[in-house]
Amino acid sequence: MITAERKPMEELIECLKPYHRILLVGCNECVTVCAAGGRKEVGILSSALQMAFKTEGKNLEVKEITLERQCDPEYVEELVTHIDQAEAVMSMACGCGVQEIARRFKDKPVYPAVNTTFMGASERQGVWAERCQGCGECVLGLTGGICPIARCSKQLLNGPCGGSTNGKCEVDPDIDCAWQLIWDRLKALGLEDRYEENIPAKDWRTGRGGGPRKIIREDLVK
Amino acid sequence: MSFRKRLTSGEFVVLAEMNTPKGADVSELVNNARRIKGRVDAVIVPDMENGIMRMSALAGGVLMHQQGVESIINVNCRDRNRMALQGDILGAHVLGIQNLVIVHSEEMAKGDHRDAKPVDDMDELELLAAVQSLQEGVDMAGFKLNGNPSFTVGCNIAPSADDAAFEKELSLARKKVEAGAQFMITPPVYDLNRFSSAMDEFKKLGVPIIPTVFLIKSVGIARYIATYEPGAHISEDLIKRIRKAPDTETECLKIAGEIIVGLKEISQGVQIVTLGWEYRLPAILDYAGI
Repeated sequence: MITAERKPMEELIECLKPYHRILLVGCNECVTVCAAGGRKEVGILSSALQMAFKTEGKNLEVKEITLERQCDPEYVEELVTHIDQAEAVMSMACGCGVQEIARRFKDKPVYPAVNTTFMGASERQGVWAERCQGCGECVLGLTGGICPIARCSKQLLNGPCGGSTNGKCEVDPDIDCAWQLIWDRLKALGLEDRYEENIPAKDWRTGRGGGPRKIIREDLVK
Repeated sequence: MSFRKRLTSGEFVVLAEMNTPKGADVSELVNNARRIKGRVDAVIVPDMENGIMRMSALAGGVLMHQQGVESIINVNCRDRNRMALQGDILGAHVLGIQNLVIVHSEEMAKGDHRDAKPVDDMDELELLAAVQSLQEGVDMAGFKLNGNPSFTVGCNIAPSADDAAFEKELSLARKKVEAGAQFMITPPVYDLNRFSSAMDEFKKLGVPIIPTVFLIKSVGIARYIATYEPGAHISEDLIKRIRKAPDTETECLKIAGEIIVGLKEISQGVQIVTLGWEYRLPAILDYAGI
C-alpha cells in the first residue's frame, strides 16, 4: 500500500486561513489502511480544524466526503455536486489523489493534509515499513524476496556494505541490514550460490531516471 | 619504484593516509606530504570520508603528484552517478593518478551535510567492473573510448563484529577480487596474533593484503574503539600500556611503529592512518624502522 502520515495541525491551519468553507476529502484505499486519511481520520481532522478556527474566533465550514478511490477519475467525479460550495479542497489521500482532484477542478485550490511517504507493508499493528520503490525492474527473484533497492539504505545490488553490524544498518540500529536479511534467506533456501553472482549496475531508466513514468496497455485503451 | 611495481614484485609497501582540507588552504597537506616524501610508497587520499565535505580526493591526489609523491585516491558511489564517476576516473588518469581504491561510503545521514541526497547509482562491485571496462577502452554504456586509462585498483575489507560477519565479508572480498581488485586494505590491526589468523583467510583471496595501522592518540580513543568498533580487539593490556606511559603521545607512536614491524612479517604492506596527526608520520616511520 501507499503509506502516509497526517501533516502537523499548524501547517494545515495555516494553509486554510484564507477560507471559510472547505471540502475535506478522504480516500477509502491505502490511506484508510494506514490510518492516515480514511473516513475516520476525515471526521477527526474536520472537528480539530473547526475547533482550532473557533478558538481564533473564526468559523470554518467543513464538508466531509470520503471517496472510494481518490486516484480514480470515476470516483473524483462524485465531488462535482459539492465543489461549488467550497472555496478550497483539503485532500487526505496520497499525492496521487490530491493531484487527481487538482486536475479535475482546475479553478479550485487543493491542499494535501498528509505527507505521502512510501510503498510499504504493515509489520504489526500501527507499524508500517518501506518495501518497494517502484523501480520498474524487479530484482526480488534474485534476492530471495527481499528488496535491496527499497530496504538497503544505499540501494546496493551487491551488498552488504561495511556499515552492516550484527545484522543492523549503520544509518540506524533499528533498521535491519537488507543484505543480512537477503543472506539469511538465501542460506535458508539453500541458494547461497546466488549471493556469489555479481548483479550488474542497475538500469535506472525504468525508475525515475527516465522521467515521469506511464503505463499504456494498448489492449485496454479505448 | 612505483607502488604498482612494488606491489606486483612482492615488495612491502608503505602507504599513508592524508585527508584533503575542508577549505582551499592546502599548505598543511603539502607540508605533511613533503615530510614523508621518499619514505612512503604512496599517499592515500580519502574521498570525503565519514561524509564530511572536503576538497575532492581527485584534487588531493593531483596535489600529491605535483609534490612528487605518488597517490592513491579513494572513490565511492555516494556522491556521484556513473557519468560523474567515469568522467572523474578518466580525468584522474590524465592528471597522473595511477591508483584507485574503491571504498565503501559512510552514510550521508552521519556526515556534515545530512540534508544532501545520496546518489548510490552503483555499488562498489559495479564500480570495479566499470573501472575494468574503462581500462579495456569501453564505457559503461558500451561506447568505445578514445584512449584508455590504466590503474592499479584496490578495495577495502570492512571490519567484522563476529565470525558470521567475517565469513560474509570474505565472500564479498572474493567478489571484489573477481571484479578486478588487485589489492585489499583491511581494517586497523591492534592485535597481531589475532590478525595473523585472519590473514590466513585473507591470503586465500590471492591478492596482496595491506592492513591498516591506526594511530591511537590517547587512552580515551583506545577505550572508545574497544567499546564501539566491532571486532577491533584492543586488549586491556594495550590500554593499560598507554595509560601508564609517562608520555602518552610517544607511547602511541611507538605502538603504531611496533605494529608495522610486526605486520612486515605477515603482510605485503601497511596503510598508516593518523587522522589529523599526519605531521607525526615521520616519527611513526622512525619507530617502524622505515
